[in-house]
Amino acid sequence: MPGAPPTQRSSVSSPQATGEVDLTAEEQRTLRELDARLPGLTHWDVLGISWNAPVDAARAAYLDRARELHPDRHAGRRLGPFLPILERLFRAATAAREVLCDEGRRATYARETAPPDELSRAESVRRSEAARSAERRARLARATPLVARATRVQELLRRGKEAMAEGRFGQASADLLTAAGLDPHHAEAGALASEAKRRAGGERARDRHQEGLRAEAAGQGAAALELYREALAADPANPRHAIAAARAALGLGQHAEATELARAAVAQAPGFARAHEALGEALTAEGRTKEALRALERALELDPALKGVRALARKLRWSFLG
Amino acid sequence: MSDLDEPVIGIDLGTTNSAVAAVLDGAPRIIPSRTGQALTPSVVALARNGKQLVGHIAKRQALTNPEGTVFAAKRLIGRRWGSREVEDARSVLPYSLVAGPQGQDVRVRLGDRTLSVPEISALVLAELRADAEVFFGRSVSRAVITVPAYFNDGQRQATKDAGRIAGLEVLRILNEPTSAALAHGYGKTLEKRVVVFDLGGGTFDVSVLDVAKGVYDVVAVGGDTYLGGEDFDRRVIDFLSEAFAAEHGLDPRAEPMALQRLRDAAEAARCALSSVNEAAIHLPFLVNAGAGRPALHLETILTRSKLEELTRDLVDRCLETTARTLRDANVKPAQVDEVLLVGGMTRMPRVGAAVRAFFGREGSRGVHPEEVVALGAAVQASALTSPRPTERELLLLDVTPHNLGIMVVGGWFQTIIPRNTTVPTSQTHVFTTSRDDQASVRIAVLQGGSDKASENEPLGEFVLKGIRKAARGAVEVEVTFEISADGIVAVSARDLASGQRQSIQVTATSGLGEEELRQILDERAGDLLAARQASAEVERRRSASGVTAAEIEQLLPAMALKLERAGIGDDAVVQARALLGRARSAIEVGDGAALASLEERLERTLQLARGLAGSIDGGDGGGGDGRGGG
Repeated sequence: MPGAPPTQRSSVSSPQATGEVDLTAEEQRTLRELDARLPGLTHWDVLGISWNAPVDAARAAYLDRARELHPDRHAGRRLGPFLPILERLFRAATAAREVLCDEGRRATYARETAPPDELSRAESVRRSEAARSAERRARLARATPLVARATRVQELLRRGKEAMAEGRFGQASADLLTAAGLDPHHAEAGALASEAKRRAGGERARDRHQEGLRAEAAGQGAAALELYREALAADPANPRHAIAAARAALGLGQHAEATELARAAVAQAPGFARAHEALGEALTAEGRTKEALRALERALELDPALKGVRALARKLRWSFLG
Repeated sequence: MSDLDEPVIGIDLGTTNSAVAAVLDGAPRIIPSRTGQALTPSVVALARNGKQLVGHIAKRQALTNPEGTVFAAKRLIGRRWGSREVEDARSVLPYSLVAGPQGQDVRVRLGDRTLSVPEISALVLAELRADAEVFFGRSVSRAVITVPAYFNDGQRQATKDAGRIAGLEVLRILNEPTSAALAHGYGKTLEKRVVVFDLGGGTFDVSVLDVAKGVYDVVAVGGDTYLGGEDFDRRVIDFLSEAFAAEHGLDPRAEPMALQRLRDAAEAARCALSSVNEAAIHLPFLVNAGAGRPALHLETILTRSKLEELTRDLVDRCLETTARTLRDANVKPAQVDEVLLVGGMTRMPRVGAAVRAFFGREGSRGVHPEEVVALGAAVQASALTSPRPTERELLLLDVTPHNLGIMVVGGWFQTIIPRNTTVPTSQTHVFTTSRDDQASVRIAVLQGGSDKASENEPLGEFVLKGIRKAARGAVEVEVTFEISADGIVAVSARDLASGQRQSIQVTATSGLGEEELRQILDERAGDLLAARQASAEVERRRSASGVTAAEIEQLLPAMALKLERAGIGDDAVVQARALLGRARSAIEVGDGAALASLEERLERTLQLARGLAGSIDGGDGGGGDGRGGG
């Protein structure tokens, strides 16, 4: 009487009382053993199939299990303590069926329960497959120039991005410009190349400027001027390089040169007082007092705190009047 | 309580008709009723003379006794008072319904008695059981009873109670579509995916099964416990009544007898339209129009296309449910190998056509779609009682039709066992206390498909009591929810820390309480006692009549001789012989009622025979004036 409510169970013969069970010793032993091992069993074990067996096999195995374990198959027999065991085992079989007869859940479960040697085997398969696919790509690249070029562009782009991320703008700009050159229609390569170039220029200019300052301190005015010019070429947008170059030229007595450099600085940064100051000094040295005064006044307008400028301007005004 | 060789039966307890079957010589067969019919109407009546009637005889007198005739009780079984279905039924049923003592279940008023719905169904079951006992000539006490697959716990429990009241040990509550599949596959080796489309008198069920290696594995079930032939008939009744009301200004539904006549006419017309295109409906003198005016007649013709138009949405509902169930089973209509049509309503051509259109294949139908469910129940009953499982035998893996869960904070429903889980099954859930020193936890258990607890069917409330005192959250109570192979729910609990089992109080929200059920069973035991006393009475009559009859027989030759000599004629002798014949057969079968009616006449005939045998001047021999008794 499996499944009957407790109220009816009492009306049927009660095997618990007599201790007699209508199962062979063999059946009893099998059920007891299976029940004891149940907590450690995988769904595959419960259905008695091998790991990763297909859905059809799981289904067939479940039907066999159900025929052995479903309490209805033992209806009319005295089961005693084996009834709860049968019910437990049947439920475990049903739970296994729920997972292993569903393609998606079965695949996930198979991955989760893969035996260790299966795992390492799967890993080595994955590795050798990766190696094989790389080799296949290389072979293809050798065979067709078009593919070779695309592969090369991808490689350069990858390296360029890496270098940029690490702040090696020179390296990045070199790789990316090459990539953009190989494939002029590659929008990403083009955009990244100009960005890298800009950043790389700034970097180089900073280096040259530093060297220039050191040269100037060492009294090598000509070398300093050359270094500042290089910095200016690498990063034309930064007026400081032009201003430093103008000062160096002034120190070397190359007044016209200094004026030209100072004008470039003013043109690049019309709102930067130091640029106007440098221009004023250069023009003063050239003796173009009127123009110099205008430049110095502009500098004072932008930054009234520049004392040197104020003194020089006063002196120029007096000489102009006098 | 029963010996193992005793026959076991399968009963299809239907909304309109019921049937009983058993496996005989290796094949399931319908057991005919004592009047020789395969189907017994699920009708119970209390006749005007106070007699309780069941089956055909109850159905026949429904017309003249609408208030005292209960039909379609299956639509009420296990339902809660105040539910939509019960309110619906109250508005259309001619008999009267009242609330149960706790105001939760439904009771039927029948004369001066108030009966629970399981008691009504038990009367039908007892009738079928008696048919089986007469057929086998021995007692029958074990049965498998079928219910719609979509029945919930309350309805299953109530059906099982009905079986107990009828004196049956219910081996299994079996789902009707599954049962039909069992009967269909009996003795064959099927390897296929079957959909059972079961549209009966009151319920619609659809099941998807995978059959292989003798295992009937139910994948998904769906249905509607309030959709069937009765609803189709109601559309016809409403249509006829509205047309009638429009013409005469009187609604025939307002009069119980007119409604009952309409109901019969609608059912007959609906059945006829399965084979012909037009059905004439004649209901003369249907409504009394009032004093001095002639009674009104209903004369009309219902066409098949009109019937189909009236019931189109009902057929559509069947298909929607079918589509949903196939989705649950993760099966496409084209992947189905066979569609089995069950239930009388599948005879309707429109239903067959809808199935064909949906599945792209013709539905297959046994010879008798009304009998196949009982046959399957007999097959399962036999499988559950055979001493040793053999190769030929089958195994049924059924599922639970509804989500089972509990109400959680905020009035939400948390599923614990999802629908379409293979039964028997169980699931545990750990509850913790939410207050310090909390002594009890109240858990409302429900069945249904909604996220909101209030929209699901409450099964009961379980109160875990005697929880040990501790800070909140410190006590963990593990509650186990079990669903048996019958689809019936049981709950048990234990304290995780102490391992102590918790007592659980169950407040049934529908059906009969255990106490009331016991009371009914006691009453029935009283009835049995009365029946046994009655049979002692019959025995006494048998022997007394036997003695009388033997004496008459002895006197007959002398009596015949006397009459012949007197030249009176042998009328009296012929009548006496006829009386003796009737008495002998009544004695043989133990027909108590016939014996009681014959007793007096036997006595008079004996007096006459004694008188005649002694002398000839003893009147004209009025030995047998009556018509046949019994």
